[in-house]
Amino acid sequence: MSRENKAGISRSYVESADIVIVGNGIAGLTAAVEARQLAPDARIVIITDQCHPTINTPALKQFATGKLEREQLLAYPAGTEREQRIHVIQAHVESINAQGKYLCLEGGGGFGYNSLLIATGSKPNGLPAATPGRDFDGVLTLHRLADYLDLRRRLCEVSQAVVIGGGVHAIETVMGLLTWGISVHWLVRSATIMPRVLDQAASSLVLEHIQRAGAKIYLETEVAGIVGRVGAVAGVITNQNQLIPCQMVLVCTGTRPNAALAQHCTEPMLCKNGILVDDHLRTSVRNIYAAGDVAALKNPQTGSYEPRAQWYSAVLEGRIAATAMIDDLGGRQSDRRGGSQSERESSSFGVPWHATHLGELSMLTVGNPLYWSDEITTLTDSSKGCYRLMALAGDRLVGYLSLGPKQPDSLAIKRIVDDCLPVGSIKKALLKGTLDARAYLSQRRSEAAHDLVTTGKLPDLAPVASTGKSASIVRVLSATASLPAAAPVPMPGVKQGQPAAQASKTARLPETGPLRTAIATVPVPAPMPVPAPASLAVPAAIPRYTAPLAIVESEEISPFTGNLPAVARPAASPSGSKRFQPRPLSQGSARGRASSGQKLLPASAKLPAINVNSKEKRPLRNLWSYGERRPVVTNHGGGHSKSDTARRTASAH
Amino acid sequence: MRDSVLLHKTGPQVVQELQACIGCNECLLVCPALAEPITIDVLNRETLSGPISKPVARYARACYQCGACVAPCPVGLHRDAMMMWLKVRLLRSGREE
Repeated sequence: MSRENKAGISRSYVESADIVIVGNGIAGLTAAVEARQLAPDARIVIITDQCHPTINTPALKQFATGKLEREQLLAYPAGTEREQRIHVIQAHVESINAQGKYLCLEGGGGFGYNSLLIATGSKPNGLPAATPGRDFDGVLTLHRLADYLDLRRRLCEVSQAVVIGGGVHAIETVMGLLTWGISVHWLVRSATIMPRVLDQAASSLVLEHIQRAGAKIYLETEVAGIVGRVGAVAGVITNQNQLIPCQMVLVCTGTRPNAALAQHCTEPMLCKNGILVDDHLRTSVRNIYAAGDVAALKNPQTGSYEPRAQWYSAVLEGRIAATAMIDDLGGRQSDRRGGSQSERESSSFGVPWHATHLGELSMLTVGNPLYWSDEITTLTDSSKGCYRLMALAGDRLVGYLSLGPKQPDSLAIKRIVDDCLPVGSIKKALLKGTLDARAYLSQRRSEAAHDLVTTGKLPDLAPVASTGKSASIVRVLSATASLPAAAPVPMPGVKQGQPAAQASKTARLPETGPLRTAIATVPVPAPMPVPAPASLAVPAAIPRYTAPLAIVESEEISPFTGNLPAVARPAASPSGSKRFQPRPLSQGSARGRASSGQKLLPASAKLPAINVNSKEKRPLRNLWSYGERRPVVTNHGGGHSKSDTARRTASAH
Repeated sequence: MRDSVLLHKTGPQVVQELQACIGCNECLLVCPALAEPITIDVLNRETLSGPISKPVARYARACYQCGACVAPCPVGLHRDAMMMWLKVRLLRSGREE
């Protein structure tokens, strides 16, 4: 291995790979797995200095409270890397040589890359360097698995703990410690918590809950110093001149992107509060990408670059980066067909979204709920121990904050914000937290489909399509597709043919998954103004991109009825075609279904009247295995024994 | 059952929810139908795509969509919809055999 090669490395001896990913957090591994699906033959390598496989980092708080064991933390099943032929190298990357396209590893080795993804995550801020006593044993930051293992070992000898910090992580830590019966002192620097996310009322609601749970809260209090006895923590002195005795200090003062590699790159990489990336996660250096906590993305609502240190965005970023890197590998070919997937992905990137439990409260923020300006109206509701805040720009939702015992359908609300759907009709439901997102979204789809049928034209379907965007957002996203013009280094990733390709991508965007079939069958009246018509018909490229999602897109549950798709019945076509024949409900025993269907053959005259009814009933019988009736699934070989097992299992409960 | 409308999510929505799953295990901790140790990473992977292993298949059949898993999810996801999705996949894979 090259890193054992201590001295005199020449470029030709350096190992290399098509795709090199630094860091095996969720963004890194997701990118690797996704890249493997897109390019079965590419050589993919992850270089990491982390000594454990990728874990569900948000689940570490459940690990801290003892609800989970270490084995349950794995984000991907054990052995995924081997199965996907992703080579994992244990090494620390020191610098990047962007001209030579290789990495310098600690110890003198090198590693060449074709595309590089920086997914080095974040590191905790900790206490200010000047704080006396910050090195005493028992002063912990909770960030990595090792920190939580340390915490769990210490819990048995701790009766009092101090938690420092005013964010979500601090609250989760406080609540976690309370479950162990530890008395918790919580120091918050400001008078409210999370001032960027919560307003005064929301903040006091959360504080009230945490106080009721048993924590002692010190607002507007900071740590002046930590006192210790023989090397271990004995107490904390606050700036209010108060001594709080404790055996453990947990520092939850936020994280910052771990962007050291941006400084150690031979070409200037734009980095300010994270490595700046565009919507394809390209950094300002050619062939280098960044994803996860380390990447600073443009917020479509505010236009500022900020890291999104959240699980869901890390997964999404990993996938988008993988697509972009594969496009890179494809070289010229990718200029033609590339982009469309990544464009579609980036269009689903959307606004920031954060959902979590703060003790017994569920908190959800979508977009920017505290986005005050002239045209924004704000509605709040604070009944029944809940708090909800909506920021509306006309008929559009731009920010949503919900606190309450029940989490609303959080991703659906994100979609409503992302797609700029009108919320006039559901304002009240949103405010009360009783939104029936499915009914709303399917109604939107039916309306669009109705338009499609009645007018024969392709309407502005984007807002209702599952992955689509409204035209305005698409415009915004394509406008933000590269870093600001003021940037000293132009984006080298932008290739010669890019403007034309970009235009065609934008034009094609509204064709989202569910609509493709419609486009194929309904003749489009006027072809879209596409500069490069050849790019529209690249059949070879399509399977490659859609393959990983093929199952998903074909297995669409009907949005119109909400029913599950009718399952094709293979052999029994005569009875199968009569499967939806009407029959009296008393005869509806699934056990005798096939035969009764045949018996009832002549009743086909009644078909239209009862058909609706049988449609509604069908999925329930087909799929639920706990009923006495035999599910229809079982009328082919092998199915019997399975459903019998299922019934036995179900009855065991 | 007032929340029954939430059972059926479209395919892309289920995928999105699976990607948003933080693996905290809260849904499995409350599940009355879970009879054997199944970890959430395996469950998520097999709900999404690929072959369905026997324990997961048994679990999918045992799930009776009671919805107990929805409330504890810190992220507001719908495990019941994912399980329904898994049931559909199971059904289809059985058919192809």
